[in-house]
Amino acid sequence: MKEAELIILGAGPAGLTAAIEAAKAGARVTVLDENAQPGGQIYRQVNRGFRVTAPGELGHDYERGQELLAEFSAVADRVEYLDDALVWAISPERELAFLRHGESRSMRYRQLIVAVGAYDRPVPFPGWTLPGVLTAGGAQRLVKTQRVLPGERILLAGTGPLQLALANQIVDAGGKVEAIVEAGNIDKWLSLARSAWGQRTLIADAWRYWSGIRKAGIPLWREHILLEVCGEGRVEEAVVARVDQHWRAVPGTTRTLAVDAVCVGYGFVPSVELTRLAQCEHRYDPRLGGWVPVRGETMATSVPHVYAAGDCAGVAGSFVAMDEGRIAGVAAARALGYLSAEKAQGRMEPSRNRLVGLMRLREALDEISLPRPGLFELAKDDTIACRCEEITLGEIKAALGDGVTDMNEVKRMTRMGMGSCQGRMCAPALQEIIAREQGLAPAEIGPLNPRPPIKPMPIVAMAGHRELT
Amino acid sequence: MEKGIERGQQFEIEVDGRKIIAYEGETVGAALVAAGMHTFRHTAKRNQPRGMYCGIGLCFDCAMVINGVPNTRACQTLATPGCRVEMQEGLGRLEGER
Repeated sequence: MKEAELIILGAGPAGLTAAIEAAKAGARVTVLDENAQPGGQIYRQVNRGFRVTAPGELGHDYERGQELLAEFSAVADRVEYLDDALVWAISPERELAFLRHGESRSMRYRQLIVAVGAYDRPVPFPGWTLPGVLTAGGAQRLVKTQRVLPGERILLAGTGPLQLALANQIVDAGGKVEAIVEAGNIDKWLSLARSAWGQRTLIADAWRYWSGIRKAGIPLWREHILLEVCGEGRVEEAVVARVDQHWRAVPGTTRTLAVDAVCVGYGFVPSVELTRLAQCEHRYDPRLGGWVPVRGETMATSVPHVYAAGDCAGVAGSFVAMDEGRIAGVAAARALGYLSAEKAQGRMEPSRNRLVGLMRLREALDEISLPRPGLFELAKDDTIACRCEEITLGEIKAALGDGVTDMNEVKRMTRMGMGSCQGRMCAPALQEIIAREQGLAPAEIGPLNPRPPIKPMPIVAMAGHRELT
Repeated sequence: MEKGIERGQQFEIEVDGRKIIAYEGETVGAALVAAGMHTFRHTAKRNQPRGMYCGIGLCFDCAMVINGVPNTRACQTLATPGCRVEMQEGLGRLEGER
């Protein structure tokens, strides 16, 4: 079987910087990316066919993405980039299987860096399955890379800076944002600005977003939450209310808005299916988005030869991801013998220093955006909790009545998490909801076990699976 | 609408027999949303309408029958000239399957 020196999974901020550093040190790198082009979610390039005519109009993230992609191109002679590659299984024996262009192959690696990112935290609430309700990240992809608006009267609901960025992108694309509903307490944003002092680029971005919203006259309702979305076959109305510090609705403050699209963004959940299949040790940390691999300071996980970098190891944004990727790339090159210990330390140092600077900002952001208990009390008994298998929260609660205290038991009893998304859409919230119902901590009821293939794939591809030689 | 980005070549795709406009580089899902079509399928158990939700290929709620292949994610599939798209009912069927 073919053995690669270093395989990197994902080509977002962390995967790209890891590849750049490892290649610069002399390592031969294979990058497996599920997308058609490098960039990941935040630096996603416009699809082939579209043409960028005025890069200056596309914002700072676009510029930063272009700089990073240029740096990646510069090491192309040492990097094999495989697009459209879905890694569907991974074993601790340094072997992985991937689906590419309809064919399944497996190969071995000497070192592995997992940098597969995170996805929008799915939150169940009445009406969340109606067409027209989409995640903020999904809406951003539509607007940013394809210039398609999710609706004509759009409501943004959730928490955190992505909402402000998305509002600006919608306005730039000619759309209308009815309101931004922010569950957090924005008074704390002042302390955020203080923590960000020294992070000039981030402050410049925040200021641009803020003034964009003011200029477009978009109302920003702070300490409000989206309770429910209603409509006949699609989104017609959204019900919002003021919340207390626990994000629980204050009685008598509800109001109804006529909208036709709702973009929901409550932060992100790390994608840990692959580090879990590799049997890396994980822990539950709500501040990092949920289950995350345990790591040392070189981004090494508990399994030898496996590193994890960026949002898949704890949600902290693209700046942190880029420096974690650099550290992991240097560490992997060192493990392969391309760098002396001293040289490796020297190359990690600038990233380590920047990460210290980013830490305070991240803590302040967490303070505002960390999901509060009220978020997990929005779903009613007749609300669909598992979108794929169409299991209601009531059905899950009934199973709990039988004394079930583990996520995987709930899965076996109800089929929750057994559908096409394999629990990505239901498990993060149900982890919190079920734990509360049972009077346990979310960590105690365990993560849902991932199973290969981690995404649906054609059975003919699996039947034709071969080792890469 | 085109601030900073220019669309590729324009063509038509067929959605349940109706022709809509799509552009090179656009996903089927984006073309549908742009045409004001938000329901992509009906669920198997409760016959409920679903559309694009996660938008990045994870949730499979945008599953449609594209060129005869059911359970194809509209948000991940690029539109091509003349491609045939059908709303998916339940778990979907392969062409020729009864």
